[in-house]
Order: sequence, then structure tokens, then C-alpha cells
Amino acid sequence: MRDLFRFLFRQRNNLLFLALMALSLSLLVNGNMHQRAQAISSSNAVIGQIYAWRNEASEYARLGEVNRQLAIALAAERDRKHTLLPVADSSAHAEIDSSAAQHYRFLTAQVINSTVHKERNYITLGSGSLAGIRPDMGVIGANGLVGIVRDVSPRFALVTSILGNEYRTSVQLKRSGHFGLLAWDTGDPSTASLTDVAKHVAVNAGDTVVTRGNDGIFPPGVPVGTVIAVMDDPGSPSHIIRVHLSEDLSRTAYVHVVTDLLKAERDSLEARASQP
Amino acid sequence: MIAVVRNHILAFIFLVLLQALVLDHLDLARGWVVPYLYVLFLIALPFETPPWATLLLGFALGMAMDFFSSTPGMHAGACVLMAYGRLLMLRLLAPRDGYDPLKRPNVHDMGLAWYMTFAGTLIVLHHLWLFFIEVYRFDDFFSTLLRALMSAAATMVLCLLAQALTSRGARAR
Repeated sequence: MRDLFRFLFRQRNNLLFLALMALSLSLLVNGNMHQRAQAISSSNAVIGQIYAWRNEASEYARLGEVNRQLAIALAAERDRKHTLLPVADSSAHAEIDSSAAQHYRFLTAQVINSTVHKERNYITLGSGSLAGIRPDMGVIGANGLVGIVRDVSPRFALVTSILGNEYRTSVQLKRSGHFGLLAWDTGDPSTASLTDVAKHVAVNAGDTVVTRGNDGIFPPGVPVGTVIAVMDDPGSPSHIIRVHLSEDLSRTAYVHVVTDLLKAERDSLEARASQP
Repeated sequence: MIAVVRNHILAFIFLVLLQALVLDHLDLARGWVVPYLYVLFLIALPFETPPWATLLLGFALGMAMDFFSSTPGMHAGACVLMAYGRLLMLRLLAPRDGYDPLKRPNVHDMGLAWYMTFAGTLIVLHHLWLFFIEVYRFDDFFSTLLRALMSAAATMVLCLLAQALTSRGARAR
């Protein structure tokens, strides 16, 4: 017994090393497996506050760029409003039709921290659960897709950027309507890949890619990017498609967080249908 | 003694904030080079730091970075490994009659060759672990290796710059 204690004492530094390493590795595995159960993130109140201060200090330097983005978004909104035709006969809409009800609500949030050059990139927003942001909501910028809310605290939210391999968004080619998945495997923050589009589909450079909107996270038709190259992989039944992302994630200053107001209703219907 | 502890606490806070608020946002070579200067804290600990304290400080430093970059365990593992590597390197590089208690592991006191060996090995160890854990897979092995080594070189340059900028009197480094 005494020998055991002497051994443990002599090996105490190696044992401490092994214990700390095991702790780090278990955090690493758990943090990636159970996305909900992670407190170690920049949505934490203290870290969020530090990032908010940093953002306040650097905000002045970016005001010109932010104004430009807002002006473009406003112009696009005007465009959209004026191209919609007025409803000729309002009585046609008298029945209660869920497709006419408001389906999505958009909350504005400020980006207070973001990275684009890591293998997995995260964005911290300066609004959290007090503003109505919840995990799994979609996040879109003025020009296109940004990411999905991963974790929230009362005043901050952590967003998993599309620049990372943690999930694949369901998207479609606007022209032909064919579906595919968006994956970020290029390592370049301005491009991504569109996978799972079968070879018989004709895809051309310049085609627009938009969200499919079947996941209860993003509305359909949110711009994602444009196809810049279509490559042939002889060993695979699908194309390799490079997409230039329409949102420049290294500049995004304000985003919209999307709430799908009908998600609960849809989920409960689908859950009921899948029961025996 | 108390001044040394206080200076190291200040250096810890300063380096973590510098890393999280400035260096992580640099856009060098399209993301191929990410210097992690915060490891300078572990390199610059006094020679007489007890081994258990080195390991625990390494874990604390890594966790502090993990909170900022939302990567639980990633920096912590790299820093614990680096702290352990530091213990081995100190034993390997020890002079015959032990380290002079008045000296610190920096370029001024130990000379450039010694420092490049000591800090260089530790930085490469830390960066290799960090970059390979970050990609989480072994395809494109060589591009990850290249990124880690290029970033390690950048970190080394920043470490030397930081020491050139701090005067001989500033013993916290």
C-alpha cells in the first residue's frame, strides 16, 4: 500500500497531466456532441460583454460600410414592394388560409464578434433570449444566408456560421428547382460547395442558389450565392459545384434572425403522422 | 515574489485579451496564418515554477481562450500538452548546475539559440495539436501541416518582437 502511495506521489505530475488532458478531451467531445449542453462559449455574459465593448470601439470605423449595407437593403426592399401587384379582389382572401398568415418574423441583431478564417466559425450577436432569439433560429444578412443560432444567453447569442462543417443547409437551384446541400469545404470565406445535385441536372455558371425553406429554419428563396464553376467527378453520381456566397461574412454588421411562426404547428402535425 | 505573481496575472489577462480581440481577427494570407501569441505566457513562466502549477496554468490559459472562441477543450488540450512539453524541454535543456534563479526564459537572459530551441519546439507542439484538432480529420493532412507550421513561424516572430519591445527591466515577460 505504501509503495502504491509512493508511486502515485512520484508520478503526480504525469497523473495531473493525464487528468487535465482527459478533461480537455471530454470537453472537446461533449461540446461537439451535445450542442445544447455547452456553457463554454462567447454567448457567456462576461465574454459577450467584452466583445460588445470591442465592437463599440471599432464600430465608428465601420459606420460608412454599415450605412452602405443598410442603404442597399432598403433599396431592395423598395424594389420588392413596388413589384408586388395589388390584390384585385379582397373577398377572394376571406377564407382563413394559413398560407396568407404571417409565416416568418424577422428580428434585427447586431454582430458584435465574428471570425471567418477558422475551420469552424462562429458569430456572436448583441441580442439574446430577452429579444426573443432562441436556439435553432436561422440568421440571414442583408445579402444572404449567414448561419443558425446555436446557443443563447439573456443578452447575447452565438451563431454557427455557414463557414464551418457543422451542418448542411438544404438549398435549391432557383432556375431548375433541383435540391442540394450547401457545404463549406473550400476553406475560403467567399465560396462554398453545392453537393448532391445529380449529374443529369444541367447546371451553368451564373445560376442562382437559394434556400429551399423546408427545414423550419429559413424561409424559402433566401439568396445563398451564384454558381461559379461546375466540375466533373468521374467517381461520383453528382456534380461538384462551387458557389460564390452572396453574403460577405467578413463584413456583416447587422443580421436578421428568422422565427418560423408556424414551426410548432407543422412539427406537431408531422410528429402525429409519423406515429403508428 | 508577490510582484512576480502580480506581473504574471497581468500578462495572462493582457495576452488573452490581445489574442481574442486583435490577433484572432487578423486576416493574414487568407486565413493560412493565424498567430497564437497568447502561448508566450506559458513560455515565459519562471524556471522555478512548480510542475503542477505549470500544468494547471496551461489548462487555465487554454480554457480562457476557449471561452472567447467558443471551442470547449480545444485550446485547453493544446495548452496542457504544451505545459507538459515545457517540463520535458526544461529537463532536457537544463545546464549541468541547474538554472540560474535570477534568469528568466527569454532571449536576453538565455540567448537566441537556446530560446529558439525551447520556444520553437513548444510553439510547434501547441500549433500542431491545435490545428489538427480544429480540422478534426486527417484528409488534407499536408495543407493542415503547412498551416500549422506557417502559423508557428508567425507566432515565433511575434514572440521575439514582443521581447524586443519590452525593456530588460520588465521582468514579467
